[in-house]
Amino acid sequence: MNEGLVVCVRSIISFFSLLIFTRILGKEQLSQLTFFDYILGITIGSIAATLSTDLSSRSWPHWIGLLVWAALGFLLEYITLKWRYIAKYLEDEPTIVIMNGKIMEKTLKKMRFRVSDITELLRNKDIFDLNEVDFAIIEPNGRLSVLKKPEFQNLTPKDMNIQKKQTGISSELIYDGILIEENLKQLGKDKTWLLNELKKQGISNISDVFIATLDPSGSLYIDLYHDHMTKITDIGDYKGPY
Amino acid sequence: MRKFLVITIPIITLILFIFVMESDIFLKRSLGKNDSISESINAVINDIQMDDWDKAVQDTNHLSEVWKKIVRMVQFSSERDEINAFSINLARLRGSILAKDKAGAFTELYEAYEHWEDLGK
Repeated sequence: MNEGLVVCVRSIISFFSLLIFTRILGKEQLSQLTFFDYILGITIGSIAATLSTDLSSRSWPHWIGLLVWAALGFLLEYITLKWRYIAKYLEDEPTIVIMNGKIMEKTLKKMRFRVSDITELLRNKDIFDLNEVDFAIIEPNGRLSVLKKPEFQNLTPKDMNIQKKQTGISSELIYDGILIEENLKQLGKDKTWLLNELKKQGISNISDVFIATLDPSGSLYIDLYHDHMTKITDIGDYKGPY
Repeated sequence: MRKFLVITIPIITLILFIFVMESDIFLKRSLGKNDSISESINAVINDIQMDDWDKAVQDTNHLSEVWKKIVRMVQFSSERDEINAFSINLARLRGSILAKDKAGAFTELYEAYEHWEDLGK
């Protein structure tokens, strides 16, 4: 028995099975990791690791374990998506811990949260004074959502009655020295327009451009391969091996 | 194209993985001539029953060769413990045959057969 080869084959099976199953489970794994999702991830990972290296048993039962855990995770996700009532039961719901600036002690006790935990979460949100907080909510994933009192909220262009230009997602017109005509067409521009814009900035050749993007407001960003930087800031402290 | 990448490739990959993990169902069966483990074990049992120790040595060597050939194929779908146990049975069987110990040889052969049956289950 060639153990190295067997581990190699089982690792390939484990790696790609895990990849396929987690893709089926969706992005929720990363963005809204609840405590249960966290444990689910650890368990599935642990089964995959055993499938890969525990040669004392066959790969099949471990793979079935992996499949069942992933299937149950998917089923739970599906149920919580379809039935709000069960979702509340299974995944919990947001809990208000500060209401109208007052800390809800009983709720904190019920959730086994200390006030120091709340102040820590607030500090993570750059809030160092409890006076600034109007509402604070613990989300099912353990994160704290905060609504500041109106006098402490950031000033927005709307508050100042300032009209701002519409922004949007930039499209790449040149990528790695190659013109992307499809995006150019989508924005209602042509190659001549782009060449003229490049000429205005002293660029004669498209292949000199590393990336060029255009946003819906008409702002063009151009970066060349050669940036002609004479002085580059070094943020390191000690000279390293590189 | 997107359907092919998102659905077909993962399904084919999973089917291939299941095939590799369950391949012992096909690979434990004899694929060519004289490469059946159970037949080879029976041949050694017959030799020992007939007290033909020279033939038993020859058939044990043949059994070892068949085992080496098959283990290369079933190693991906089987458990290491059963594979190791079968190999140990073969080593002990050689010793029993050398000592012309009928009881010992039978014990090893029947145990080896049991391990062969359990391999991949």
